[in-house]
Amino acid sequence: MFGTLKEIVQKKGYLYLFIKLAAFLLLAFFFDRAIGGIFQKFYHSQTSGWEYRTKYSIEDTKADILIFGASRAQQQYNPVYFEERMQQTCYNVGRDGEPVLYYYAVLKAILSRHLPKIIILDIENGVFKESESSYDRISILLPFYKSHPEMRSIIDFRSPYEKLKLQSNIYPYNSMLLKIVKGNIKSGNKEKVDMNGYLPLLRSLNEPVRTVDLSKPYNLDSNKLNCYKAFVNDCKTANIKLYIVNSPYYFNSIGKDISMEIAKDIAYKNSIDFIDFSKDDFFLKSPQLFDDTVHVNMAGAKIFSNKMIDSIQSKQ
Amino acid sequence: MLFNSFHFVFFFVIVTTVYFLLPYNKRWLLLLASSCYFYMAFVPIYILILGFTIVVDYFAGILIEKSTGKRRRLYLIISLVANIGILCIFKYYNFINTNFSFLLHGFGLSNPIPYLSILLPIGLSFHTFQAMSYTIEVYRGKLPAERHFGIYALYVMFYPQLVAGPIERPQNLLHQFREKHSFDGDRVFEGIKIMIWGLFKKLVVADRLGIYVDNAYSHLHQQDGMTFIMATIFFSFQIYCDFSGYSDMAIGAAKVMGFNLMTNFKRPLFAKSTGEFWKRWHISLSTWFKDYLYFPLGGNRGSVARTYINLMIVFVISGLWHGANWTYIIWGAINGAYLVFAIITKKYREKMGALIGLNKVPRLNLFIQIVVTFILISLSRVFFRARSVEDAVTVFEKMLTFKGSIFNDGTAIIIYCFLAMFMLLIVEFKREFYMGSFSFSHNKNFWVRTSYYSILVLLIILVGVFDGGQFIYFQF
Repeated sequence: MFGTLKEIVQKKGYLYLFIKLAAFLLLAFFFDRAIGGIFQKFYHSQTSGWEYRTKYSIEDTKADILIFGASRAQQQYNPVYFEERMQQTCYNVGRDGEPVLYYYAVLKAILSRHLPKIIILDIENGVFKESESSYDRISILLPFYKSHPEMRSIIDFRSPYEKLKLQSNIYPYNSMLLKIVKGNIKSGNKEKVDMNGYLPLLRSLNEPVRTVDLSKPYNLDSNKLNCYKAFVNDCKTANIKLYIVNSPYYFNSIGKDISMEIAKDIAYKNSIDFIDFSKDDFFLKSPQLFDDTVHVNMAGAKIFSNKMIDSIQSKQ
Repeated sequence: MLFNSFHFVFFFVIVTTVYFLLPYNKRWLLLLASSCYFYMAFVPIYILILGFTIVVDYFAGILIEKSTGKRRRLYLIISLVANIGILCIFKYYNFINTNFSFLLHGFGLSNPIPYLSILLPIGLSFHTFQAMSYTIEVYRGKLPAERHFGIYALYVMFYPQLVAGPIERPQNLLHQFREKHSFDGDRVFEGIKIMIWGLFKKLVVADRLGIYVDNAYSHLHQQDGMTFIMATIFFSFQIYCDFSGYSDMAIGAAKVMGFNLMTNFKRPLFAKSTGEFWKRWHISLSTWFKDYLYFPLGGNRGSVARTYINLMIVFVISGLWHGANWTYIIWGAINGAYLVFAIITKKYREKMGALIGLNKVPRLNLFIQIVVTFILISLSRVFFRARSVEDAVTVFEKMLTFKGSIFNDGTAIIIYCFLAMFMLLIVEFKREFYMGSFSFSHNKNFWVRTSYYSILVLLIILVGVFDGGQFIYFQF
């Protein structure tokens, strides 16, 4: 057979190349499907870790109260206190470093199968700031592209070629190999659903409070702004009580952050409660409650979570 | 347009397909048009700079050929001044001005000369050097002047090597644009395989290591010595894979269309001395400097002292070629000093080797030589990577303490880094020391070969960094 192929080479180079490329693509396709299938299986069998928490948020949580946001959500809202005092289930779906694009994609996935009663959306200064890395960061949603069509429009923001790349079954798991292995090894984790998504920080600050100027201009990302608006709108449409929160910082701010002002404005226009702890005197005088200037530590999270519950209960 | 982008994949497939469909005598036109498009995908307006040097050098070549004596020399000088002038304006103007200001400040004066707010045209040093080699070769009488303007323009602009080399010589490349490259399935496939290996180097190794290195250097004062020792090793691998990965993709892309570009890297990680390193690293630039600067300066034909001076001049200018910053000049000077030191101490080192019996254990001797060379080259690269001389000094100060813990922004990043380096070393080691033995990539069995490259592609998809930046050498 190969002798015949060699003859083809000498006579018809195009056909020979076509056969070679077809064989190459066939093998690549086979390996891609086989290895991709293995990754898919082990991705969904994780019992701990970052990817597990994302998967749980998107596909499993049925909590009454959901907390959305980036690291300032994940590390500052302890669902245990919400469950105790509000007598409702609570899960923290926040994820470190993720932009508003991520929160909205996760919200869409959750709303397609479950209707929470309360959503707390923690936003931070610069939430609509233009940044290329924001689109890199939502790559953690790629494993859900095929199974969650409601998230596709957001994942497609990554690049015009994303649909093409996602023809591969391996690509969604790019750079996740070790995380998936780790997520499967820690199967003996007895903690209640990974501490309900909350990740405590343990250090304490010991420094005087600084002053930060928030008025420096920057470019806004229209995709982020639109996702935020859609987040608010979808909650309203689904009749979910939404609280938008600017949680505590350990710095005195001067000037106004443009993103925060826009976020506030949209909240007010939609009659959404906007709770602002950014200049809370108690936290500004308590460095021991912070891990760094933008994240409270475990002790701070306890106090802040309870203050949040007080605010919510006072508004109900 | 980056080689590691889908934009390029579409571009390459379309251009190559049309290339083979066109009659031979029309192909140069397609290549020239596509090269213009390729270059304009970065900053369109800078095509005018290329156009200017092309016009000047094209006519300079013809005039040099037609003239004799002083006039011939004058045309060469005009060409060189035009090329170097462009480099000086776009690459070195602000650097020179800053140093001039510093000098004036020493005398209590202020500098009235304004700074220019301009972006460095991508790959400027590469295509200017390629253009200069043409006029120099015509001047030397080794090459007839190219009469076909389109072919000459294509020589400067040929898209696979336009922005980061290899810096071709007219004798090797010009005639290839007139040759009839018939379609050859094996050659096309071979070219694609070279491109895949280049892509692997770039996405799996270079961009992965780059994450750690960038983190270390962007938080210079928060990191400890051990982190910089790690980052220095990583950077050596990163820059090798970044640059040679680009060269592989350029060579592979050209090969698909039937062009043979010069080899730019010969496994420099296994160089046994700094001298040998420069015969394996960025060969197209090293030989350029050897032919057009070192030899004209007298090479090693003069006194010993003169040879040392020539070496230092070449390496300092090579440093300056890389960038308008004192860090590059120091980097060049260090590498020049390595060579001078190696020549001075050669006899003593050989004697010492014999005295301690290293010559009797050649493998150990080889290993030590490779490791020492790697360390020396890596240390010099601290200046290459640092943003300023102060930063480089800080890195050295920290490294010398050997203190602190290794920065770890997630164990996975470190593991991926080592995994990537390990895969690279396995392949390079095999190619360096066991070339004729069993090989997956060149196996006689078609299915073994094809499976190897299929898995390589899947590895790229699985562990490659798709959000990485552009190629380091583009800035030069």
